[in-house]
Amino acid sequence: MTLAEYAPGEAAVLTDAERWPTIDAGGVARLAHWRAHPDAPRWTHATGDRLTAQQAERVRHPLSTDDWLRDHLAAARRTLRYRGMTQDAALEDFPTIARADLVDDLAAFVPLDADLSRMLHGTSSGSTGAALLIPDDVEEVARGFHLLVALAASAGATVAADGERMAVANLVFQRQAFTYVSVISSFAHRAMARLNLHPSAWDTIDARGRFLAEADPQILSGHPTSLAELLDAGLDAVLHPAVIFSGAMALSAPLRARLEAAFGCPVIDVYGLHETRPIAARSDDGAFRILDRRVHVEILEPRRDVAVPPGVIGEIVVTAGENPLLALVRYRTGDFGRLVRLDDGAFGIADLEGRDNTRFRAADGTLVPCVELTQQLQARGALGWSVEQGDDGRVRATIAGGDEAGIRTALQALLGMPVELRRVTRLIDLGEGKPRRYRSSVAD
Amino acid sequence: MADTEALLAAWSERSGGESEAWARARPGPSLESVAARISRVPQEFLDERISLRALAGDVLGGQIVSAGFDHDSRVRQGAAIGLWLVASEGLIEPLDPALSTGWAALAVDALALRVAPVAAPAQWTSDDERRTEAARTFLLWCGFVPAGEDAATAASLLAACDSLARDRALAEAYEGHRHRADIARTLEEARRKEAAARYSSE
Repeated sequence: MTLAEYAPGEAAVLTDAERWPTIDAGGVARLAHWRAHPDAPRWTHATGDRLTAQQAERVRHPLSTDDWLRDHLAAARRTLRYRGMTQDAALEDFPTIARADLVDDLAAFVPLDADLSRMLHGTSSGSTGAALLIPDDVEEVARGFHLLVALAASAGATVAADGERMAVANLVFQRQAFTYVSVISSFAHRAMARLNLHPSAWDTIDARGRFLAEADPQILSGHPTSLAELLDAGLDAVLHPAVIFSGAMALSAPLRARLEAAFGCPVIDVYGLHETRPIAARSDDGAFRILDRRVHVEILEPRRDVAVPPGVIGEIVVTAGENPLLALVRYRTGDFGRLVRLDDGAFGIADLEGRDNTRFRAADGTLVPCVELTQQLQARGALGWSVEQGDDGRVRATIAGGDEAGIRTALQALLGMPVELRRVTRLIDLGEGKPRRYRSSVAD
Repeated sequence: MADTEALLAAWSERSGGESEAWARARPGPSLESVAARISRVPQEFLDERISLRALAGDVLGGQIVSAGFDHDSRVRQGAAIGLWLVASEGLIEPLDPALSTGWAALAVDALALRVAPVAAPAQWTSDDERRTEAARTFLLWCGFVPAGEDAATAASLLAACDSLARDRALAEAYEGHRHRADIARTLEEARRKEAAARYSSE
């Protein structure tokens, strides 16, 4: 610990040499250029990747997956939570855990011999409940960039460190957000930025357009709300991404189609939680392919540690070994889906429903799982939605985009009752952040 | 008597981390000089009627966390011996370097909350190994490595005489308290520093 890094009670401000220990003249010039750009947004933060030369070299490559599960369970046995588990305990011997376990006693999941000097502070708001503190690992976070590059390559897109285009822009769209410009130590110190597309973040709307046109990031990442804003604002005219990544919430099929048509590049939807790191991805509307990394997926019954029959929808339970500071074993994600075999024999997750397995009660008393509503909403072009059923049984739905009359007919047919439907134009009109798509008073 | 585990838990919160303590430790007085002072603790320091708060106020000019546990005779005696070590520099002569230039209040709390609950202070004067354990612990938390030792050697020698290691259940409980305090402190430090750049939305 270097006490000189901060003055007590104040937010620490690192020097650029601490943010990018290996930065070269080119990196310094890129930072200066984007920080002082006349059209730059008002940067709210400064932040780097903190990688030493050795770390920058390591994060370029994925962690080996050879025998990783055995090593991971051994690491888990070095946590307070699992130190009573026997040496020969198999994965199935570990009881499942959930978000509440991490909220209650996070430290119990950090290996006793973990290198705490690598710890960064992360938070996960989730869709409900208290914010969760996550001990992020400095190398794992930095390796995330190279995962994007690898996923792009698997979709036929090339991201290269051979020009002055920004490597990545991580896009948000909210009234207030952290924004910063950085360089990537493990990618020839090419620039990247976290940008807020909200007009209030920029001097003028035109400045936003000019800045994005010059930066022209090779990778655009964001969540559906910020990606939809690119289209709504006509920014597809000035951007030429090699690949687009969507995360944090479900990307609807119609929005994917619009993005693909506008940008002519692969659009990859990544499924993962902050606490598990990326789990699966897809570049079409089929099943999510489970990533070839330290992640193991099981589909279990929601209330018992029992696997559902093959191909049946259940809760997604993840054993995640990418973050050495958080040894998660059989973590219940709160998300639902089916485990399927892909054509090449790999495993995938189909019918992924985020956050909950909400069910609605139809007029005849039958329960309708939300996945059926998703199918109808997507088929009729909705970009996003929220559907709620109150104690009185009435169903209120708000859709962003889509065929209003067709969706009303489809939902009423599914539920056998009238539905109060409101259509808004844009995803952001559903609310900022990560809106819950379904809410129902029917018990899980 | 307070619950032993509760005292160790209080120490976990108070200590600020053992690896941090070793990292900041600089060459200090000899182990023998500290151990010899422990042997010479005056009876009046151990008198049950003495107010720990008043004694700490006089010797340190400030307070110690262990004063909140002064209903426990182990804590009282452990703290009193620590306060004697500091006071002895005025009454006999300063050690070299002087303990008063270190983290004296933390070292007093270490004797009271970390050592006394697992090795009765009465043994510190009668038993060489227990006296060594107390002296080594005091030096560490005061910010010193015993003269002539490096930090790695000093750490392994302290671990070798740690009374807590003889009680496995208690040692495991302490490890848990210590780990939780370490994680909470590290996360808090990380929160006050900058985050790191992120490349995608989660």
